[in-house]
Amino acid sequence: MNKLLIVLLPACFFCQQLFSQTDSTATDSVLLKQITEQMQAGNPQPAPQTNRSPRNSNPDIGVVADFRGSYISEGKKNFDAYLDEAELSFQSVVDPYIRADFFISFSRDPITHKYGAEVEEGYLTTLTLPAKLQLKVGKFREDVGKINPVHPHALPFVDLPAAYVNYFGEEGLNDEGASLSWLTPAKSFYQELVFQATSGASESPSFYRGDNNRFIYLAHLKNVFTLNDNATLELGFTGISGPNDSSANTNIAAADLTYKWKPVQMNTYKSLVWQNEFFYSNAKYASDEAHNSIGFYSFVEDQIAKRWFITGRYDYAQKPYNKNILEQAYSLTAGWYATEFQKIEIEAKHTTVNVEPNYNQAWLRWIFIIGAHGAHQY
Amino acid sequence: MKIKSIVLLSFLLNLFFVTNAKTIKVVTTTTDLKSITEMIGGDKVSVMSIAEGYQNPHFVDPKPSYIISLSNANMFVTVGLDLEIGWSPQLLTSSRNPKIQKGSAGYVDASEGVGLLQVPSSINRGEGDIHIYGNPHYWLDPLNGKVIARNIANGLERLDPDNKSFYENNLQTFFSKINAKMQEWQAKMAPYKGTPLIAYHNEWVYFERRFGLHIVDFMEPKPGIPPSPSQLVKVIKEVKADNIKVIISSPYFTTSSSDVVSKQTGAKELTLATSTGGFPSIKNYFDLFDYDIDHLIAALK
Repeated sequence: MNKLLIVLLPACFFCQQLFSQTDSTATDSVLLKQITEQMQAGNPQPAPQTNRSPRNSNPDIGVVADFRGSYISEGKKNFDAYLDEAELSFQSVVDPYIRADFFISFSRDPITHKYGAEVEEGYLTTLTLPAKLQLKVGKFREDVGKINPVHPHALPFVDLPAAYVNYFGEEGLNDEGASLSWLTPAKSFYQELVFQATSGASESPSFYRGDNNRFIYLAHLKNVFTLNDNATLELGFTGISGPNDSSANTNIAAADLTYKWKPVQMNTYKSLVWQNEFFYSNAKYASDEAHNSIGFYSFVEDQIAKRWFITGRYDYAQKPYNKNILEQAYSLTAGWYATEFQKIEIEAKHTTVNVEPNYNQAWLRWIFIIGAHGAHQY
Repeated sequence: MKIKSIVLLSFLLNLFFVTNAKTIKVVTTTTDLKSITEMIGGDKVSVMSIAEGYQNPHFVDPKPSYIISLSNANMFVTVGLDLEIGWSPQLLTSSRNPKIQKGSAGYVDASEGVGLLQVPSSINRGEGDIHIYGNPHYWLDPLNGKVIARNIANGLERLDPDNKSFYENNLQTFFSKINAKMQEWQAKMAPYKGTPLIAYHNEWVYFERRFGLHIVDFMEPKPGIPPSPSQLVKVIKEVKADNIKVIISSPYFTTSSSDVVSKQTGAKELTLATSTGGFPSIKNYFDLFDYDIDHLIAALK
């Protein structure tokens, strides 16, 4: 017992010294001086509360829930309601060199209706590479234009544009590998060049994870021009090449154009986004035949009041395997954003396909978030 | 030969830029931090603020142009206490500039050592936008300006120890000016001690305590939640009961709800600046208090 005390006492003393050293910054003396001054001035002042709430070394943890009700005019079952997804996020800086972001998704299989867990994203990002380089390694949503890098709950509509789903699927292009991004020396506008090499998408219609040594390569050039204090214009180009399910190559070229307006002074009340993406796909097959197809979407999101957003979208999509099958859709979404942590959206959509009857769909989506919620990309 | 000359040229260009990089490039999140950094750093700094003075500092869109400024900065100054949680961490990561990341010499948290008010013992979002570390609008007490200035001077001295005495001198000048102005401001506000007011958002607590005002209630029922009809009814009752003469708001809130209360009660609406640059005549941190105090007194008279 005595021995223990002999060891512990100096240790306690050392700890105390260590903490008192780290606390005794110059700001303390300023604080003391300030308090003395306040007391001398005879100004009744509440005692400064310096006991900042305890925080531990846990990462920022959050849960995003996506509850949906849906209607479709075709088929036997017209109405449905389900928790589409619960997404757990764990985000933190790892050490002075990297940070890590994990998104674990518990989502409902649309066919079996069973919930399964999967790592939606899990990657590290470097913080200290030289030459304005940044490396991302792990599983991540790839940098294809504007929709793919965004988690669906943050989009201003419930469903995804038809062209995007045709090429990348409902889950998007989300794959394992590495991403190297370079902030170019351009000073008058923002320019970022990204290269990504991934092992092959598991669920994308365009690309296939084969058993050979072929990878998907992606390059994205992002340019953002500041038009004035309130408006920006973004122009991006993406090229993707990778193996498809018949061991040949699919090449996709994409371009995106986005205009954003948000008055700096009243930015919580009014804003407007006009976003467009265009896709061209060239899919070769083992039989030497090649299919070319195009698709695009365009939407306008108008914030009409502090809590109200209206989004109108037009979709145009040729089927990647047969460009003669053409799908077009018009949709309108009204969103009510209660706070940063809750929103309700209602979407109505009319779809025309040139080889089948037209149909209508509607959704109600209720997004709610607890815990930490990371900032969205601009 | 061609390659050699390109290499040589780029080397010379680099040398040119390096030798010309005499000033410390500072990016601050708000204009008040910019103003104080300029007073401490003088001609040895070039400072850029991300938020404008008339902008709500909780909600700034992380435009990529800010990433360019941050990627070239030597020092970053933040209000801290999670005021900028929605936008500055993401900008810092995207800047890929190791010099200004949290924990680096170029990262300055201006709130270090500030005596904080309204520190919650626990967090429940049912109470609205509550800040875990306490109310972050501490720069609205001029004496906290001194703590901010001390933190900024510490940062500049870490990066440029050769000019320590220069920064220390400017810091002492700033302290003296604050002391002198405080006497003037306190004297002006003395007759209004205990004056009841209504405010739009809970961002005046440091100003209120320093100058002995009494904010009875807010237009927002809870921080960050827009005014509701029931809250307006409650505020109208309070204005009548306490004979409240002025409703204060900030440049980035709409006046529609204050208009209603004003019409019903005759209370004056007054938009005060929450930061330097909130109105064109507010050029620096001292002008901020001159403006707010003069306009408040004019409205209360």
